[in-house]
Amino acid sequence: MTADTLDPLIHAPARLQIMATLAALPDGDALSFTRLQDMIRLTPGNLITHLRRLEDADYLTSEKTGAGPASRTSVALTHRGRAALDDYTETLRGLLNGL
Amino acid sequence: MNGTPDMSSAESYGDERGLDPREAAQLLDRTQRQAQRELDFRSPWLSLLAAAVALLAFGAIWLSVRGQHPYKGPTPAGLIVLYAVVLIRIGTVLYAYRRATVGVSGHSVRRRQAEGAALGVALLAVYVVMAALAHAGASDGVVYGVYVSTATLLVLGVFWAARSAVREDWQGLGLSIAIVLVAAGSAFAGPRGVWLSDGVALCIVLLAYSAAQAWLLRAPRSDT
Repeated sequence: MTADTLDPLIHAPARLQIMATLAALPDGDALSFTRLQDMIRLTPGNLITHLRRLEDADYLTSEKTGAGPASRTSVALTHRGRAALDDYTETLRGLLNGL
Repeated sequence: MNGTPDMSSAESYGDERGLDPREAAQLLDRTQRQAQRELDFRSPWLSLLAAAVALLAFGAIWLSVRGQHPYKGPTPAGLIVLYAVVLIRIGTVLYAYRRATVGVSGHSVRRRQAEGAALGVALLAVYVVMAALAHAGASDGVVYGVYVSTATLLVLGVFWAARSAVREDWQGLGLSIAIVLVAAGSAFAGPRGVWLSDGVALCIVLLAYSAAQAWLLRAPRSDT
């Protein structure tokens, strides 16, 4: 088994941090964009890019409520995203055991 | 949170740097720990404060009743200390809870609100039954000593045990079972001794819980 077997969507520092942070929430909970940004310390543009890639893969969902300055974007892991992170963790564990 | 950026208008920054598996495991472990620490309002410091609160609150009541013959119940001075430290405890828990849940929305927030309401009603019922016991002619030692201290802790302990079991929070379940045992055991100490026994035993239990929390936060994980 090589590092190529790891899910490339998750196997990038920023996206791994996003997935691991959202996975710490109970199933069905969402985190606001600004709180997520505070927790993983990415620039807004960088964070949006990675969130969009994960959302395109159906690993997370985002919801925007309100409009203008009062708008609020929340992101949450989907079941598929949680399962993908579990698989990633399992594969990583297998790789480390083989080293 | 105001004016969060539109996700459809992202800049094209990327972070596609390859990660060594060991590096990835460390990053995953570090991020999970940090997220759990920041999103969970419970902490060793909060438990340490709870231990001090239990000792001070129950200790103050014990000091106010230990010389009473016959037993009349806690004095106003004792109750003022009790309510003051309990209010400090509630204030610190609310502060920690709000800080941890900033930006969090969804099922768990609504579930916690419902749990809080249920606990409030259960505690209120303890005091309604206390009034009923006094009305029925039960002695001051039973009503304002053994019953009120034991019933309050039993309600708190059983509530937290059920909550912890549903969440598979074994640490919390252990703490709540210990609280239930302390409450039941201390009832044998009588109307004066129950306050001292509860205070000292709860303080020890909460100190142990705080130490366990601190140890678990520092201990390396074995899953990655």
